[in-house]
Amino acid sequence: MSMVVTVGTIVAVVISALLALLMIPILVWLERRVCGLIQDRLGPNRTNIAGFRLGGVVQSFADVIKLVVKEEYYPKHISKHRWLFILSPIITFASALLAFMVIPFADNLRVFDEIIPMQALPVDWGILWYLAIGSVGVIGMIFGGWLSHNKYSLLGALRASSQMISYEVALGLGVATVIMVYGTIDFNSMVHWQSGTLFGVLPAWGVIVQPITALIVIIALFVETNRAPFSVAEGESEIVAGFFTEFTAMKFAMFFMGEYVAMNGASAVIITMFFGGYQLPWLSTADLISNIELIATIATVVIPIILYYFVAWMKKNNSVRVTLSTDGGRSFETKVLSWVLFVMGFLAITALWAVVFSNSKDAISIAVTLIQFCIFVTKLMIFNIFFIVIRWTLPRFRYDQVQMVGWRYLLPLSLVNLFVTALVIVGV
Amino acid sequence: MSKKVKKVTRYGNSTKERLYLPAILEGLKITTSHLLQNLSDINSVETLEYPEEQPTDITSRYRGLHRLTHRADGTIRCVACFMCATACPAECIDIVATTRDDGVDDKMPLQFNIDTLECIFCGYCVEACPCDAIRMDTGIFSIIGKKREDFILTKDRLLSHKGVFGEEISRA
Repeated sequence: MSMVVTVGTIVAVVISALLALLMIPILVWLERRVCGLIQDRLGPNRTNIAGFRLGGVVQSFADVIKLVVKEEYYPKHISKHRWLFILSPIITFASALLAFMVIPFADNLRVFDEIIPMQALPVDWGILWYLAIGSVGVIGMIFGGWLSHNKYSLLGALRASSQMISYEVALGLGVATVIMVYGTIDFNSMVHWQSGTLFGVLPAWGVIVQPITALIVIIALFVETNRAPFSVAEGESEIVAGFFTEFTAMKFAMFFMGEYVAMNGASAVIITMFFGGYQLPWLSTADLISNIELIATIATVVIPIILYYFVAWMKKNNSVRVTLSTDGGRSFETKVLSWVLFVMGFLAITALWAVVFSNSKDAISIAVTLIQFCIFVTKLMIFNIFFIVIRWTLPRFRYDQVQMVGWRYLLPLSLVNLFVTALVIVGV
Repeated sequence: MSKKVKKVTRYGNSTKERLYLPAILEGLKITTSHLLQNLSDINSVETLEYPEEQPTDITSRYRGLHRLTHRADGTIRCVACFMCATACPAECIDIVATTRDDGVDDKMPLQFNIDTLECIFCGYCVEACPCDAIRMDTGIFSIIGKKREDFILTKDRLLSHKGVFGEEISRA
């Protein structure tokens, strides 16, 4: 293995891990702000460091500090198996994190005559890894619920496991359909398959080729991540807090963060399988590389426009009512952030043009990889917001309804879908 | 007399409703419209930027922090009859009575403590008082302290509170 590959792989691992971990505070913050705005409230917008509140995202870091320094409380009866009790949130968190690691966040980087896969775990059977490791998370929940010696926790753990069993079937059949269509179990090849066009006009995204499969897999992944409307395992209104009733401080935070990492991973899998992954519609990686000059021109026009509208939006909304005399340093913050954004935009455009004029193949490859990374993060954020909006739109299903939807509707539907797809593939 | 039969429309049995997905889209439309509306103009959210903005809709019937009223001559109206302490369901009123030697009345409280950590702000003390000596018309809705003793309202503190709805002195 050459030096370039080693460095590239390490960079890929670091970026992938940062993408998963840094997304946690942002998602926790987004969940609160989006929920607030949907319900005509403001949400947390006060916490700040030296007047910089960044829309309230600082609140998440304050929460982390609070949870870290909080008292570690163990119920008295958990004495012999305390190590397992502590291990259970770690299992859930680690499995969610590891499941995210196979997602390609950009196309294979061809640089210095080497090929560096842009995923933390460069395997060509990514979907199997995701299914396998993603399901391990429920073991942590079962351990936690069982060891709590608490009826609510036990009920939560039972619900989590039964829910997992009933939807894993539909998820597996949906994924099998996807594998049949794409003819691969490698995430990166799936994205390549989707970069073509359908009938010459539509982008060949999975959601257009296989809309029913997309629906089944999205529903099953909602269940897999324990998100509303399928959050019966947590079920605050019925069973206190479900399997993590007895967990405090950082142990609770691990379960909590695990949920967001799992949600992030589910979004990543959905966009990789059905929404073209890291690619823009109609544009494959080769197109991006050969048309880098055009892309730089478009970026030179589009980035200032986006920045202009974003700064205008920030100026309008990072403010307090006119009736108030003090704005708590918000206008100063807006000014500083605007300048930072403009400088960053300017640097990005300059760097892009520098790459174009240098005309070196390696530099263009790296630039294209970065562009694809930005596209991936944008799609990821859109899907995470979709997850959040769904949570604050739908009421939680009753437990029997969850099981009924899983066994009586989703399973037959996915079976029929599988057979029809198989017939079409064999017939065509 | 003919039987009147009212036909009740049953919802939820049509294919569209049983499919459930159109309803989800309907709901998403509502939530996203709220989200985008508030995102484009944060000040369209109807809220109070507390504590910079204070509530302006406190009515005269609002049960705020207690106060002890005065007589026309400025002395305390309370005659230490213990009616409020008896009526109090939270038992948060602690009165020590003493004789009054200025000739205005026979009795007055030497000590009149209300523990606001126990008080449930039910207003029974105000209803029970025969002399209109205790009232809850101060409009104060928050009390701040750094230790438990800060939350015990003494006689002096209760007398210093002002009523915000006119009537300064006792009506009785």
